[in-house]
Amino acid sequence: MPLDANPEISDDALLAQYAGGDRAAARILTLRLTPRVLALAVRMLGDRSEAEDVAQESMLRLWKMAPDWRPGEAQVSTWLYRVAANLCTDRLRRRRGVGIEEAFGEGAEPADEQPAVEERMHADGRARALHQALSELPERQRQAVVLRHLEGLSNPEIAAVMEIGIEAVESLTARGKRALVALLGRRRAELGLSDDG
Amino acid sequence: MTAEISKDMERELDACFEALRAAREEPSPELLARVLADGYAEQDARTAVAPAAPAPRRGWLRNLIDMIGGWPALAGLATATLAGVWIGYNPPAAFDSLTLALLNESYGYDVGLSASILDLDEVQADG
Repeated sequence: MPLDANPEISDDALLAQYAGGDRAAARILTLRLTPRVLALAVRMLGDRSEAEDVAQESMLRLWKMAPDWRPGEAQVSTWLYRVAANLCTDRLRRRRGVGIEEAFGEGAEPADEQPAVEERMHADGRARALHQALSELPERQRQAVVLRHLEGLSNPEIAAVMEIGIEAVESLTARGKRALVALLGRRRAELGLSDDG
Repeated sequence: MTAEISKDMERELDACFEALRAAREEPSPELLARVLADGYAEQDARTAVAPAAPAPRRGWLRNLIDMIGGWPALAGLATATLAGVWIGYNPPAAFDSLTLALLNESYGYDVGLSASILDLDEVQADG
């Protein structure tokens, strides 16, 4: 994976350069932002192929939005995470074929969506167990937990992405973590997590 | 609210997060190429539809010149005009012979005749 060649240049500045026709800015933004939206989409959807589609579509919307971007009003990454999360939500709804209320309710992902990612996943039992447990979380809890604990966003950043208050974010992540602990606890014996330390 | 997570469970969960972060899915070169191609295409599309500089406004003189037939036609017209003025001021002898033959009058301006016609003293005396 190529490293970001210009880590000191802000996303804002790069987007302005991109809008001005700078090819190098397009390359840096691609390398910098695509991994982030892909990671979120994989955790949200549990399907690599669908996640790639979401990542590409999110980036396409970024390219189209670039000329209208007003620097300083919001973070580019926050905007992009929001677009990707909404696209994931749309796909999950279509996958289930149900309305919005049900899509945000409790429920597990279809089991046959999981193996593709898990086969590529590291052989680490913990990673696999958490991936499975995440897929069983309600969508909003999963999104908050992934953004907080896997993507490393702050609570205010997550609040901006999910367009909710900070307290709601704290509630979602706390409930999500408790649910994960319960789900992982059920598998503890078969995974031997305690023995692995 | 349910019970808080124990320290041991918290540590286990953190270890799971750590493991999953390490197993993060990275984009393939093909995906990066597709994303970049989209980015370039959007830049190219915007360049193609960027509004061109407005054409300068054409003045009435320019329009008139074009209506006549452009600068060459205007040059010909100017030459013809100058020739006409010159002929009027100093007609060639052959032209005068022609008018004398046809009209029994000289083409040229007869100063003596004009002077006699416009002799105000005579007009007043007659009057």
